[in-house]
Amino acid sequence: MKPIRSGLQAFAIGVLALAATAPALADKEDFPTAKGTTPTIPGIDSDALAKFGGEEGVHKWVEALFYYIMLDNRINWIFERFGNPKRQIELNTQLETMVLGGPAKYQGASMSAAHSDLHITLTQFNAVVEAAYNACERVNTPYHVCNQLIAALAPFERVIVTR
Amino acid sequence: MKASGSRLGGRIAVALVTVAGLYCANAESAGFFNLNTGKVWLTNGAVITDGASGGGINPWATIGGMETRDGINATVHYTYANLPSFTLNSVGLLVGLWDRVELSYAWDTGPTGSTYDTVGLLTDTINPLLQKLQPVLSLLSPVQLGYLGQLSQLGQLGNTGIEPFNTQVVMNVVGLKIRVFGDAIYNSDNLIPQVAIGGFYKWNANKELLHTLGASKRKDFEAYISATKIFFPISTLISATGRYTSANQTGLVGFGGPDGNKRTFRGEFSVAYLLNKQTALGAEYAMHSNNLHDITLGDTNVTGLLNLVAAIPVVKQVAGSTVSNLAGTLSQHENDWKDIFFAYAPNKNLTFVFAYAMLGQIVLAPHNNGVYMSVQANF
Repeated sequence: MKPIRSGLQAFAIGVLALAATAPALADKEDFPTAKGTTPTIPGIDSDALAKFGGEEGVHKWVEALFYYIMLDNRINWIFERFGNPKRQIELNTQLETMVLGGPAKYQGASMSAAHSDLHITLTQFNAVVEAAYNACERVNTPYHVCNQLIAALAPFERVIVTR
Repeated sequence: MKASGSRLGGRIAVALVTVAGLYCANAESAGFFNLNTGKVWLTNGAVITDGASGGGINPWATIGGMETRDGINATVHYTYANLPSFTLNSVGLLVGLWDRVELSYAWDTGPTGSTYDTVGLLTDTINPLLQKLQPVLSLLSPVQLGYLGQLSQLGQLGNTGIEPFNTQVVMNVVGLKIRVFGDAIYNSDNLIPQVAIGGFYKWNANKELLHTLGASKRKDFEAYISATKIFFPISTLISATGRYTSANQTGLVGFGGPDGNKRTFRGEFSVAYLLNKQTALGAEYAMHSNNLHDITLGDTNVTGLLNLVAAIPVVKQVAGSTVSNLAGTLSQHENDWKDIFFAYAPNKNLTFVFAYAMLGQIVLAPHNNGVYMSVQANF
């Protein structure tokens, strides 16, 4: 019992230490900068882009993503009102290819700049995540491969969701 | 006692619904029956038999219900665990408020099945034993004869069947959980987990049973801290909880033992592999106490008495190890709980959990391993 108890104490102390540092780590305004792969923990698979079918496969996935987004009444109006789906499909293909380890040629605005005026809620962000999973199923990208991309995009939640 | 317990439980459930309803009416995008909003599939976790969101037995740092920080959502659950000597039924309601606060109530009940045939075992063994000892009674001291006298009184209990034990376990649990910081889902670039603190207040309706089994308290609180995180690159969720408690079998057999009600921190660990967006496979481990040992009937410590009788040399000669075996059978040895589970959410409003629970000895009956099923609906 003794080692277990001291282990638990160490766990509790660790949690408290994390609590103290969490705000500092989580509020890094400059991240993600959308300049290369996302440094996830653990790292995403080195062959993630290849398993996605390369840039062409990512492009197909983004098309499916926007198909599901534009069908979803919770969020399609935001994209209709503020977006330009054709341009967004192009930019998203660049962004997703890059975060999966491909060439860094994303030309769009930073994620925070692109979303700052939209007052995106977590519910709306989650709706896009669901569209992302549905898109993976649509293009027959396996779930665990899909999660490599989800892992790479997840930190953008902190700058996209502003309400 | 039982009646007032469930009446109180009913009142708490009504209060939970009322409070949630009021908040729902005021919240801008609250989610009662607003079925297609909120969390991504399964990220609400499942509902444990203590009523909180978690795996099958361990609470997680997740807040139950399908709503995000934008709303309120409730989950009802029914769980049925069919174990060789114990059947557990758990029904409950939880309300998740803005992915920050979780209120929960659970009513856990179950007959302990064949466990209390141990009374029959006692009489079946004691009466023939006493007859065997008749010729050698003159060799025993007055104190030893006294033990045998007590034993013969227990032998007379035979035709009362299992009634003295009152075999139904009934426990009410109210819970409160608060997410302190962190996000289990989207912080894939750091190691900060979602961390929540919570507490349960549990009260047991079956006083007689707890007296028989030797628990020190019928009602008590538990406090816990949980850290939960999803690692998307490996499609795996990991959760760890430290629970400050003195519970026996999560409180189903009361709190503390003959040595008093001493709470300690116990570790609970869960890991789940996400098979697809609506399915998870996992395993859990929860440390339990070993507070309880002896069985008490009326004023008699049966297990202790049997151990005293077993130690008499003449009894050993005449009856071999029968009495010490009986004392062993009437001793409690609580085990840590383990399970492996399969959770499937066909849609956002429904989650099914199928598990194989390995709960060890429960109120004398060993090897309680069996199937656990749970249906959970989100509103």
